[in-house]
Amino acid sequence: MFDDNKSNGKIGSALVVGGGIGGMQAALDLAESGIKVYLVDNKPSIGGVMAQLDKTFPTNDCAMCTMAPRLVEIGRHKDIEKITLSEVESITGQPGNFSVRLNKKPRYVDEKKCTGCGACVSNCPTRNSVQIVEKEKIKLQPKYAETVTEILKKHQDRKGPLMPILQEVNAAYNYFPENVLRYISQETKYSLSHITRIATFYSSFSLKPIGKHTINVCMGTACYVRGSGILLEQFSEKLNVKAGETTEDMLFTLKAVRCIGCCGLAPVATIGDDVYGKLQTKKIPEIIEKSKIKELQYAQANN
Amino acid sequence: MAEKRRIELMVCTGTGCFAGGAFQIIEELNKELESFGLKDEVSLVATGCNGFCGQGPLMVVLPDNIFYGWLEKKDVHYLVEEHFLKGRPVKRLMFMPPDEKEPFPLLSDIPFFKKQLLVVLRNKGIIDPEKIEDYIARDGYLAIEKVVASMSPKDVREEILKSGLRGRGGAGFLTGKKWEIASQQIKTPKYFIANCDEGDPGAYMDRSVLESDPHSVIEGMCIAGYAIGSNEGFIYVRTEYPLAIKRMGIAIKQAEEYGLLGRNILGSDFDFTIEIREGSGAFVCGEETSLIHSIEGNIPEPRQRPPFPAQTGLWGCPTVINNVETLANVPVIITRGADWFSKIGTETSKGTKIFSLVGKINNTGLIEVPMGITLKEVVYEIGGGIPKGKKFKAVQTGGPSGGCIPSSMLDSPIDYESLQKAGSMMGSGGMIVMDEDTCVVDVSKFFIQFTNEESCGKCTSCRDGSEALLEVLTRISDGEGREGDIDFLTELGESIKDASMCGLGQTLPNPVLSTLRYFKDEYEAHIKEKKCPALVCRNLIQYYIDPNKCVGCLLCIKSCPTEAITGESKFIHIINQENCHKCGQCLEVCPPKISAIIKVTGSDMENLVQLSEIISCKEWKKNHEYS
Repeated sequence: MFDDNKSNGKIGSALVVGGGIGGMQAALDLAESGIKVYLVDNKPSIGGVMAQLDKTFPTNDCAMCTMAPRLVEIGRHKDIEKITLSEVESITGQPGNFSVRLNKKPRYVDEKKCTGCGACVSNCPTRNSVQIVEKEKIKLQPKYAETVTEILKKHQDRKGPLMPILQEVNAAYNYFPENVLRYISQETKYSLSHITRIATFYSSFSLKPIGKHTINVCMGTACYVRGSGILLEQFSEKLNVKAGETTEDMLFTLKAVRCIGCCGLAPVATIGDDVYGKLQTKKIPEIIEKSKIKELQYAQANN
Repeated sequence: MAEKRRIELMVCTGTGCFAGGAFQIIEELNKELESFGLKDEVSLVATGCNGFCGQGPLMVVLPDNIFYGWLEKKDVHYLVEEHFLKGRPVKRLMFMPPDEKEPFPLLSDIPFFKKQLLVVLRNKGIIDPEKIEDYIARDGYLAIEKVVASMSPKDVREEILKSGLRGRGGAGFLTGKKWEIASQQIKTPKYFIANCDEGDPGAYMDRSVLESDPHSVIEGMCIAGYAIGSNEGFIYVRTEYPLAIKRMGIAIKQAEEYGLLGRNILGSDFDFTIEIREGSGAFVCGEETSLIHSIEGNIPEPRQRPPFPAQTGLWGCPTVINNVETLANVPVIITRGADWFSKIGTETSKGTKIFSLVGKINNTGLIEVPMGITLKEVVYEIGGGIPKGKKFKAVQTGGPSGGCIPSSMLDSPIDYESLQKAGSMMGSGGMIVMDEDTCVVDVSKFFIQFTNEESCGKCTSCRDGSEALLEVLTRISDGEGREGDIDFLTELGESIKDASMCGLGQTLPNPVLSTLRYFKDEYEAHIKEKKCPALVCRNLIQYYIDPNKCVGCLLCIKSCPTEAITGESKFIHIINQENCHKCGQCLEVCPPKISAIIKVTGSDMENLVQLSEIISCKEWKKNHEYS
């Protein structure tokens, strides 16, 4: 077998880049089939992300139970050579016969002598000092980029900018996309938890996408004593959604609001910008239809 | 400015009339005036809220002062031809009270307007709110001129204090005193905030002021800023009022162009700027400390007072917060003097107050009345009584913080103290009239539901207390009330009052406590007899078709969403109580002439003749005529 390889100029060794669970398995498989393996990882130890996990999808298996046997086996295998704290710089040659240039970073500990006893770790006086992790900068998704940057720029110098920013973002998208909230948090230096709390406090903000048109049924006192409770029920029945929910076609969101100040016209409901005063339950199917037709015409006009 | 025309049309474009299609009417009017060649003789003004919202869309014709209500697009052609061309006012479109034969042509004759005294709303329906010239023509910005030219800040504060003006937001703190406290603070800068976060359901006076006369608020803010030594003002408007925000924005821009806002106002060394801030739908933001938090971009929860905002407010600086209506009073007090102002009203409550008169009343709308007027005058003379000849039950004032005042107290005057004594409060001025068809348990439940949802959750007593109140009230209205529930409600209500930090919590039990005080029997009927006397609480009522009246027209059968009604044409219909949803659709469609469908409650439910199968109307009549 090895003779054949030599005849076509290929050498019986392989390089595996990355010592995560995939890399480890690949290295083991190769080594089992008799090939010399070099396993390279840029971290001080192999194991990768899986070492940080508790359970893995979809079977909820314990991550360490999957990893530990492989770690041990790699440590023991005579045909696997681990090269940690190293990065690949260049590759020359051709498939089957190539040489790789690695950049090995200093470890400051002699690997040949270290037994991994842990004594130096526990005795290091600066062991518990805070290590600042550079967080990756959040980038806006392209579809939000223009509008949101503009809004942020407009309000950057004013006092108490958060509410106006959130209001304008809400006006632009009808809800707060997570990406945008994270970005605002990064740019305004308000913590994400603070922003989320504000975003969930006010009733005109939403974290979920809402329908194109909001149906607001006024539940102010004047409307209530004139029967707006029944109106809300009828809307909810006709649209097949509860108050606060959005229809499947993303056209309507049904909401109960507290007084829109048209008490003289009680009971009142609004669909988008249209106000319907002195509304009777029997008119409801008609006005829903009307809004749908309006929407259709609008869509056609735009096409 | 345009020269005087022969006729001026004042078309109301407040939110109420806007919803009724006021802008379509204006468009149509323009078209018709054009086609009749009256463009140069008749001018058209889109005004702010006229106040008589129940008649909208409406219009006042000047100089004759003729009032037209309930306008429709199809009436416009006739109206223009008859009145403006031929000079014959159209009776059909004038205001017609339910029991009168002849309409009232003149605005000043209509009882709704007759009893009112306009101070804050002095310009309503007369000026175009989007034109600063109109405001100036009505003596606008005279007060700020007087202030910067001839008065020291101290003079202004003393004048306001002398006038006895109290905050119109609800609590009724003396405005002059608030300004005095703020002006004594050493820390600068000082801020001024106009509060237009009018969250009370059923109240819309602040919105109306901003929509019909935004400049009076700007002028009031300028004067206040001058008096306390502030150069920066904010106006906090709730986002549900887009029209008010738009008009305020226009007004601020115009005032800046005229040098009435900004640097060196009217050539003096006083600077003042105003910025609009929007709320986003949180009732608690009307509370001053949480309003401040909201502007700062913090969580809008109230905080403990003292220190009061006048000492430590926005960004830790002295801040005065005044209600919009309070501010609109200020320019008038300055121009006409504190003595004139303090002559209006009662001993402790000076001036006028705007109320939104809504609910089960004939003339719904916004009214401005002198303090001390009795509830009876408001309900029966201005409001024109209860529709359909129903009986008056109570009037609810002060929104979710107020209480219900029963008919026995109709003669009490309206001022801060007597309303408080009656277990209610002035609040921002919502006045919701209830007739015999309104169930007090249901209304209390409604208010507690509201405050429960709007509670910010900071104090346990408010957050969990309202939850517990709601639970018990729901139980009572569901017909599962228990012995002892009434005592529990009273005790819990009192403790919530004692233990909560801000105004919301301290007043939230009011609707329950005041109804318990005056309508205890109704609660008892719900609990003991399982009966809802007003026929509202769903679990306690049944819909029933009176066999003596039913003509078998099928209308109710067609409308029933749950197919609970059985019957055939000309056969008496029967409601199957098991399937009935109690939505009330059948009651709505049953022709008024027949009105065979009735609601019953309590023991009446058992005494009814329940038909077991449908029989023809004829047969039924025959059997019952002889028996």
